[in-house]
Amino acid sequence: MKENSAEDFDSLFVRKKYSGLKIFVIIFCVILLVFTAVYTYLSVSAVRDRMKLSQTQTEGAAPVSPSLIDLMKEKAWVESRLKMASGDSIGLTIDLEEHLLQLELKGVVVMSTKIRDYATSGFFKRMDGNVYFTMFGSPLTILSFESTIEKNPLKVVMAPKTAEEAEAAVAVKDSLPKENVFWTVKLDREFELNIQGIDSISEAQENYKLGKGFEFKRDLKNIFNSFKHIVQFKKPTYTPEILIAIPENEAKAILRALPRNASVTIRI
Amino acid sequence: MIRTFFIYLLILFVGILFFGSMILFAIPAIQESTFVLPKMKEAQIGADEVGTTRESLEKEINKLQVKLEKYTPTEAYIVINSNDNHFYLYKNKQLIRDGLCSTGKNERLVSADSTKEFIFHTPLGVRKVLGKQKNPVWAKPNWAFIEEGLPIPPPGHASRFESGTLGAYKLTLGDGYMIHGTIYKRFMGLNVTHGCIRMGDEDLEVVYNTMSVGSKVYIY
Repeated sequence: MKENSAEDFDSLFVRKKYSGLKIFVIIFCVILLVFTAVYTYLSVSAVRDRMKLSQTQTEGAAPVSPSLIDLMKEKAWVESRLKMASGDSIGLTIDLEEHLLQLELKGVVVMSTKIRDYATSGFFKRMDGNVYFTMFGSPLTILSFESTIEKNPLKVVMAPKTAEEAEAAVAVKDSLPKENVFWTVKLDREFELNIQGIDSISEAQENYKLGKGFEFKRDLKNIFNSFKHIVQFKKPTYTPEILIAIPENEAKAILRALPRNASVTIRI
Repeated sequence: MIRTFFIYLLILFVGILFFGSMILFAIPAIQESTFVLPKMKEAQIGADEVGTTRESLEKEINKLQVKLEKYTPTEAYIVINSNDNHFYLYKNKQLIRDGLCSTGKNERLVSADSTKEFIFHTPLGVRKVLGKQKNPVWAKPNWAFIEEGLPIPPPGHASRFESGTLGAYKLTLGDGYMIHGTIYKRFMGLNVTHGCIRMGDEDLEVVYNTMSVGSKVYIY
């Protein structure tokens, strides 16, 4: 009896004490919901705008027959590789149909690696024939590189002053550190190519979850940029992406072999 | 009363969690999912209207394929992977041998008086074999003395010439770069050279006998 009366008394007190908190929680949750809805709407419409822009760029082009599109894609693929072969530098060819990533030099395949996994943006899944040929009909050019490892490492060494000094300098081989190989390139047709070196998929996923990976940091940076746009009620910028996972050593070799403005040919 | 307070806190926490997961995972996934994106309009027309036929396209593709395949030499050529220090020797477009080699150590050597600099790097790209020689004698360049802390002798001085260091064969590639043997076999498979491509004795012999002057060397 005594306990019950005490509870009743407390509940009256609580109603008054926490009514401000209740209102705050409701308003806060409503703001979050509204912001989430606006964020979703603006993010999706940014993709739709990009699709519209690509279609307007191909206006007036001869229409592509759906029954011939596979052959036309094949033709564009070989033509693009031929164009690359006429140049002197190393180029990259990516065949998502055959799951192959290759380095080509003067038309000769010097390295070939099987793609372990890949993902493409929705934009690429929805594009029509004309947009496809505008994007992939000729070699693309790399505009910039960003990577977790140094692209062209060069160690600076001071020569010894005497023969005794040279003998004293014992050749100590650097132990090979475990490197997380992830590199991303911006291409001249406004999309990004991300190459991830993966020897163990579970390890890569764990690194991503723990925020250790370059990929996680890059995603956070992109979200932050989108956030900045949305706070100002502007549409965020949208860059379609192709993410490819290949063995780590190959990812490193390709990064180091590609010149700064290398050509890339892609078949999806 | 404490329970009510914690219920509000929990609602607040769940709200923040929901928002965070939407921003981090759900919205990027929605953005990329095809069901919210419109399908771009495909042209619904027949092949004849486009003015081309399946057969003519197939012929064109075949012609282009033949043209592309001609770029790959039928005679012997070698591919060097300077990252993994591995070579691949081809003849008649078939891999006939592969194995370890050593390539440039990617180092910049600065002389003790800081007046000279040398870059030890294997150049990437395509080169040709310009010459072949058995039992080559190494004419030591200036950097070999600077690296050992020795005074640089005049050109043609006896101390500049060493037999055996380059192994039994050398294939010159121009600009001072060569494919040759080595006495430092324990470094095979590592980036340790001054830019040349070093090979083990047996591999070098096969490469020397297979490649001729003019054969292509692809380095990446």
